[in-house]
Amino acid sequence: MNADAAMFRDKRILLVEDNPRDEALTLRALKKHNFEIAVVVKRDGVEALDYLLAEGEAANPLPHLVLLDLKLPKVDGLEVLRRMRAHERTRLLPVVILTSSAEERDILESYRLGTNSYVRKPVDFVEFADAVRQLGLYWLLLNRMPSAQEIL
Amino acid sequence: MTAAPAHLREEYAGGLSGYLAQADENARLNAHELGRKALRGGIGVLDLVALHHDVLAGLDRAGPLRLDRAAEFLAESLSPFEMSLRGYREANAQLSAANKDLKEAKSATEAANRELEAFSYSVAHDLRAPLRSIDGFSQALLEDCADLLDDAGKQHLRYVREAAQDMAALIDGLLSLSRVARSELRRESIDLSAMARHALSQLQRAVPGRAVETVVADGLTVNGDSRLLRAVLENLLGNAWKFTRNSPNARIEVGATTSDGARACYIRDNGTGFDMAYAGKLFSPFQRLHSAAEFEGTGIGLATVQRIIHRHGGRVWAEGAPGKGATFYFTLWSTG
Repeated sequence: MNADAAMFRDKRILLVEDNPRDEALTLRALKKHNFEIAVVVKRDGVEALDYLLAEGEAANPLPHLVLLDLKLPKVDGLEVLRRMRAHERTRLLPVVILTSSAEERDILESYRLGTNSYVRKPVDFVEFADAVRQLGLYWLLLNRMPSAQEIL
Repeated sequence: MTAAPAHLREEYAGGLSGYLAQADENARLNAHELGRKALRGGIGVLDLVALHHDVLAGLDRAGPLRLDRAAEFLAESLSPFEMSLRGYREANAQLSAANKDLKEAKSATEAANRELEAFSYSVAHDLRAPLRSIDGFSQALLEDCADLLDDAGKQHLRYVREAAQDMAALIDGLLSLSRVARSELRRESIDLSAMARHALSQLQRAVPGRAVETVVADGLTVNGDSRLLRAVLENLLGNAWKFTRNSPNARIEVGATTSDGARACYIRDNGTGFDMAYAGKLFSPFQRLHSAAEFEGTGIGLATVQRIIHRHGGRVWAEGAPGKGATFYFTLWSTG
């Protein structure tokens, strides 16, 4: 499947990443593959939860995909995931854990808490960019999710 | 009560009443000897005490003197038992103390393991992130500033990327080594033949162009942790695969033999081999017998193999000669 910019119109990703260089690399990978997509970046777990769980007037449009790092300042990724799954608004939102860790217990715990996918960030940028491309194609184009009204 | 002990009882009762009546030294020694004989013959300690009372009761009007003598004699008879009872109690107390020490050591080990786990976790996470930046932005330079760089500049950047990826491989190797040490050991029956065939087919799939003759003996079943032993086979077969790269008729053989009475599995190749003078270095972490330009590697694989085999109560060793291939042997606590 080849991506073209138009296919991603109106698509949004929330990237929860505390490392500005990893953020830059992720954005670069998205751009490299012509994903013209709105990316909201939050740099710790509290910011991410505030963004996702704000209600009423303050509510933000939900992203179509959350790329979530595990090791984050203040509230870590697993806790963000746990609270997302406990909340009506975000309980079915696709979450991909995107992390450096390949520890079995992180993978297990992530799935136990309801992640949709778990991807270890490769050190090799070419591989990393390809991983981001595949994730974007799959979660934003190929995969179907129930509409927001259905979820609520 | 069987016939022989009944006879021994009578003999002892006779000796004892003789001593209580006569009170002389020879009679005392004789009675003790008969008592020991009765014990050896299968009469219990409590039986002996009961017999003692019977003998006393049977004597005509046992006066105070005889009672004293009887009590003293009984105490003498029983003192070895008292000693052994005390011995048991002491041994028991020592055992409890040892048990307590063991429990303390166990919780100390668990604490150390938790610390190690936290450390490894940190290594996994924090050491890899900068490498991703080094690799990623080097690649970004190559892509964005290609016009500004001459060939030498581009080559420098490729070296930077290679180094970052080498270090990432080293970190992963270290992590898998430490994981071997802290993971719980499961014990299950494993078909090593099937596992080896699978590992070889994976290697073949990764490099479809290579022609390697592989011979795996049937029926190599062992007891051990399947995940860890798979890592052993993957490492040893991966090495065999790698070091036969330049062999014209590459051949890898997996089988079993007997070494010092124990069954040893082996993985043999006809690859580049090694000098036995360096055999001792093979299993130390970060030790390599080949340059990175010749054969890639981190020097952690065989250290991991050795750690896994040691955890299985076994032994691993290698034989080889330069240009004549290498054979790696390992035993486990219970092969076969």
